[in-house]
Amino acid sequence: MPELFHRKIERTAIGFVIAIIAAASVGGIVEIAPLFTIHQTVEDTPDMRLYTPLELAGRDIYIREGCYGCHSQMIRTLRDEVERYGPYSLAVESKYDHPMLWGSKRTGPDLARIGGKYSDFWHVAHLTNPRDVVPESNMPAYRWLARTALDTGDLGLHLRAQQAVRVPYTDEMVANAAADAFGQAAPNSPFAAGVTQRYGEKTQVSAFDGVVPRLTEMDALVAYLQVLGRLTDAAYANTAAPQQAPNPTN
Amino acid sequence: MVQQLTTGERQNALVILLCIFVVGLAMAALGGFDPFGVHGVVVMLYSGGIAALVMKHYYDPEPAPGRQSQYYDDPIKVAIAFSLAWAVFGMFMGVWTAAQLAWPDLAFDSGWSSFGRLRPTHTTGVIFGFGGNALIATAFHVVQRTSRARLAGQISPWFVLLGYNLFCIVAVTGYFMGVTQSKEYAEPEWYADLWLVVVWVTFFLLFLATIARRKEPHIYVANWYFMAFIVVVAILHIVNNLAVPISFARAKSYTIWPGVQDAMVQWWYGHNAVAFFLTAGFLGMLYYYLPIRAQRPIFSYRLSILSFWGITFFYMWAGSHHLHYTALPHWVQNLGMTFSVMLLVPSWASAGNALLTLNGAWHKVRDDATLRFITVAVVFYGLSTFEGSFLAIRPVNALSHYTDWTVGHVHAGALGWVAFITFGSLYTLVPSLWKREGMYSPALVEVHFWLAVTGTLIYVFAMWNSGILQGLMWRTYTQEGTLAYSFLDSLVAMYPYYIARAFGGLLFLLGAMVAAFNIWMTVREAPAAAEKQADIPDTGLAPGASPAPAE
Amino acid sequence: MAVEEKDPVSGQKTTGHEWNGIKELDTPVPLGILIFIVVTHVWALLWWVLMPTFPLGTTYTKGILDTDQRKIVEQDLTEAQAQRAARMRAIETSSYEDILANEDLMKLVRTTGHQLFGDNCAACHGADGRGRANYPDLTDEDWLWGGGPEKIAETMKIGINSTHQNTRVAQMPAFGRDAILDRNQVTNVGTYVQSLSDPAVSTAQNIEQMKAGREIFLTTCAACHGEDGKGNREVGAPNLTDQHWVYGGDLQTIINTIHGGRQGHMPTWDERLSPAEIKILSLYVASLGTKQP
Ligand code: HEC
Ligand code: HEC
Ligand code: HEC
Ligand code: HEM
Ligand code: HEM
Ligand SMILES: [Ca+2]
Ligand SMILES: [Ca+2]
Ligand SMILES: [Cu+2]
Repeated sequence: MPELFHRKIERTAIGFVIAIIAAASVGGIVEIAPLFTIHQTVEDTPDMRLYTPLELAGRDIYIREGCYGCHSQMIRTLRDEVERYGPYSLAVESKYDHPMLWGSKRTGPDLARIGGKYSDFWHVAHLTNPRDVVPESNMPAYRWLARTALDTGDLGLHLRAQQAVRVPYTDEMVANAAADAFGQAAPNSPFAAGVTQRYGEKTQVSAFDGVVPRLTEMDALVAYLQVLGRLTDAAYANTAAPQQAPNPTN
Repeated sequence: MVQQLTTGERQNALVILLCIFVVGLAMAALGGFDPFGVHGVVVMLYSGGIAALVMKHYYDPEPAPGRQSQYYDDPIKVAIAFSLAWAVFGMFMGVWTAAQLAWPDLAFDSGWSSFGRLRPTHTTGVIFGFGGNALIATAFHVVQRTSRARLAGQISPWFVLLGYNLFCIVAVTGYFMGVTQSKEYAEPEWYADLWLVVVWVTFFLLFLATIARRKEPHIYVANWYFMAFIVVVAILHIVNNLAVPISFARAKSYTIWPGVQDAMVQWWYGHNAVAFFLTAGFLGMLYYYLPIRAQRPIFSYRLSILSFWGITFFYMWAGSHHLHYTALPHWVQNLGMTFSVMLLVPSWASAGNALLTLNGAWHKVRDDATLRFITVAVVFYGLSTFEGSFLAIRPVNALSHYTDWTVGHVHAGALGWVAFITFGSLYTLVPSLWKREGMYSPALVEVHFWLAVTGTLIYVFAMWNSGILQGLMWRTYTQEGTLAYSFLDSLVAMYPYYIARAFGGLLFLLGAMVAAFNIWMTVREAPAAAEKQADIPDTGLAPGASPAPAE
Repeated sequence: MAVEEKDPVSGQKTTGHEWNGIKELDTPVPLGILIFIVVTHVWALLWWVLMPTFPLGTTYTKGILDTDQRKIVEQDLTEAQAQRAARMRAIETSSYEDILANEDLMKLVRTTGHQLFGDNCAACHGADGRGRANYPDLTDEDWLWGGGPEKIAETMKIGINSTHQNTRVAQMPAFGRDAILDRNQVTNVGTYVQSLSDPAVSTAQNIEQMKAGREIFLTTCAACHGEDGKGNREVGAPNLTDQHWVYGGDLQTIINTIHGGRQGHMPTWDERLSPAEIKILSLYVASLGTKQP
């Protein structure tokens, strides 16, 4: 009788704990481990690129400010989402995301494909005070971002840690992290060329916050927003959605 | 408090505090003006403050030799105080964030007070601050009473309680500074995570050692749940928080889990934080304070077995219901969905077991607001688990996910179940712990009850409405087959509900403040109870002799 | 301590254990729960057989239906396109006049246009299209690049100062910053420009300043804005004589404009919106003005 058996294990604390661990482990093992062994889980793409140091810094600001509390970055496989936001998100698109920022609440719209949708200028105005451009908005104002210099001193450390979690940054990228961050927001400066050379021609070099000599947190955050959805074109390959892959040179 | 410790124990406590202080000093020195350094200072202040308290009472008389023949209730009392303080803080943050969604300028243009940073102070404040301290308090209380044994440690209960609150304080002060890993319900950075592992392992060992001292050979159901709560939360916490810090002097790390795997690990954690923190732990509370308050035996021991193992096994599969229709492979979503539905059986089995326990005591439910708190908690537990299983069905989730419906479900569980069972348990526990006749004011308990019920209903109905409306607006099509509403249209439609929710939340917060006041006054003013029956451990020996464990 | 008793209320036996006064009854598991178990588990089993479910090392069970969320959504999208196809083709192939005359298509323009405008354009031009500082009002009759659905569609497709290779280029030079004009000159021409739309600005006292300003305007600005200041839609130079301002018609803003220049950025919608959607929006935008009283 199972009951009699139970009366036995409920008489030993250690036995009970072991039984709990056994019962509770199965689900996680069955659901998590195969995500590493089943190849289709993450799609193959030749064109996947890395976040530049500036974009990564912007991503960290996005995390710091808790934007993920209001914005998802995960377009689900549902007709209305694809029609509103663009092709549904693929696993490969967050392959280098540690952590992922898929989100669980949409107080604001999905941002998975926001890159290139609006101008840098708009993002600066919007982040400075959303109600200046969208009177209906309940998004907080982030006025200090444009006033706060971006701390680039640690960027090399960030890239090192990313290397440790197996994001394929090269040692050269690590060594040039701070210079590349500056160069990406300073078009025409001697540092700009290194960025496209290391991170690819598709990298956007722009005076994101509109002021070139000063590298601010606003530069980083806007650079990050402008790259969302543009690390790879894979999502556009296999979908009946109307959108075309973004093409910065057309 | 300190009087309960021998001089040797006082010395040990000071040594531990000194070690922690030194760690804080090292953090402050290494981190400088980085939040890591600020947290070093927080650690120094906290450990220094407690050390000062110990030192102040260092020369107080030693405890009487009979202390082993008494329950160890001091840490419980402090845990209750912490829990109430966190309740007021966390719910205030909830009301503030709710108000910000209706009136965004209430962030007053500062970084620390913007919505994204306040939101986790609310969730951490209520779940880990309020809920966690209530769980520590009741776990310590229940395990002693049901084992008829004193806690198996003198300093370790304090280490668990104070160490745990240090974790909460570091977490919350971190969010204000923008320190977060962004993993929901696991936001604190790597050093706080590591510290929690130390605290939690101590908690586990202490709990287990106390159970080992029990006098009744069978472990009571409440303790099964507390045990599952402690053990599984440890596993979840460690796996989800594996991360590489950018430096041992910085408050920043990157999780080892990439993209889609991170999503699965995160929601395996997140969902089971709900299951084993907000559910299993509180079921432990329910299984003790309900029969005590109603003075009825548990309806069915066999049902207890069924629901306990069902919950422990099935919950762990359900996390992927947070990722329906996402880039997580479909097969995992199907597992999450089916297990969530099967999970309803053990969930309702526990709710049914609790309600049927009330058979023969329903008149008490009518007259006694405290028992009514517990009863309403059970009803909301049944309701929110039903809702949860329903939301886990993919097509339903297609509508509800990302909307306020989730938030409504959360608060049906969090307010209706977690907070109600906690207050019901505290109203039962406080008078008995402080040996009072009853609560200072039963009328205030009644007031609290109605504030809480009204607040919860307003909150939950507002969010059901807004969530479903939002979900429907996002997918409404015109006759021609094109989307009918822009996102902005749906946002504009949310404002009335956001205002209503802030109001409902305010009522609930007021109720919690009434509770804090009433409990404070009970401790200070309520008349002492006549000792009916000695509330002491069963040592089976003369007072002072060491107890013999059951195992 | 294991003494079994009977509970007087339910008549059930207890398990005989007791913890600080708590006892348990040995009630059997109610039948309802057992049925509930069977129902949910049979349902789950069925689902597992039909749908992808269990991992098997490097693959997983595909289920009898052999389907998947991606296949399903692709099919939904294809069906949706088919549902819209006739109207969308009509929109794409018909002339603007024909669409305007076709009430069925215009209904589509209004409803779909409302959503597309709200999700794509409202961020800059406002939900009502009335614009605000730095973004032009689309409801007035004052067009930088020309009104009418064709022109509007072209503007949307290629954008203004956008990344599109054929983008419209709107360059208002930075006369002050680039030291083409000195401080005084900027102020003078600014005051003159202000007077173009607000005659009250020109008074007997500042007649000299006006003259100087006009001189600079004719030599420096007229190339783009025209001698009369009425603008030039070839280069997107705004009409400076009316009350419609993109950036603002107060003296300080005008001076800022002349000093720092303006290069408004309107994104290209070529990638994000289909040709039919662009056409719908252009008609919708064109209708915004006519709807105003
Ligand atoms: C309180 C919730 C909230 C927070 C926090 C928040 N947002 Fe928003 N966000 C919104 C809402 C609502 C909108 C839609 C209205 C608007 O455009 O302002 C929005 C719109 C946006 C948009 C435009 C999206 C589009 O497609 O039109 C961007 C980009 C954006 N937010 C970025 C951010 C970033 C970056 C952060 C953090 C620094 C952030 N948001 C924090 C609520 C929020
Ligand atoms: C990132 C901001 C932004 C968004 C989004 C945007 N626009 Fe614009 N739009 C502008 C700016 C800036 C101008 C004016 C450019 C200039 O100053 O030369 C403009 C100009 C225009 C014009 C030309 C007005 C004229 O007077 O000739 C039209 C038409 C227009 N937008 C329509 C749209 C439509 C339709 C959408 C949505 C699909 C849209 N815009 C989205 C920024 C935006
Ligand atoms: C090379 C062409 C060119 C020249 C020369 C030029 N402008 Fe402009 N101007 C433009 C364009 C294009 C815009 C619209 C820019 C935009 O909207 O982004 C503009 C915009 C303006 C505006 C803003 C109108 C508004 O609605 O807010 C003012 C004022 C103005 N110009 C004044 C002048 C004056 C004064 C001069 C001479 C000193 C001048 N412009 C010379 C092309 C020119
Ligand atoms: C005074 C009462 C409360 C108010 C006004 C309140 C308000 C809020 C608000 C405004 C949010 C953010 C929702 C959003 O992002 O749209 C939130 C989230 C949350 N609250 Fe509360 N809350 C209250 C009490 C509680 C309690 C007592 C608990 C737990 C015991 C709790 C647990 C949570 C959780 C877990 C979330 C996150 C939900 C999610 O991410 O989906 N809340 N609350
Ligand atoms: C059978 C039991 C339950 C099931 C199957 C269940 C299922 C779900 C589902 C499907 C979601 C929505 C996920 C999404 O779409 O994002 C959810 C969210 C949530 N539930 Fe439950 N639920 C259950 C019980 C509870 C209880 C008792 C609580 C107690 C407080 C609770 C707290 C939460 C929280 C906090 C979230 C929000 C997670 C987030 O941040 O997104 N759930 N649950
Ligand atoms: Ca959430
Ligand atoms: Ca963490
Ligand atoms: Cu869940």
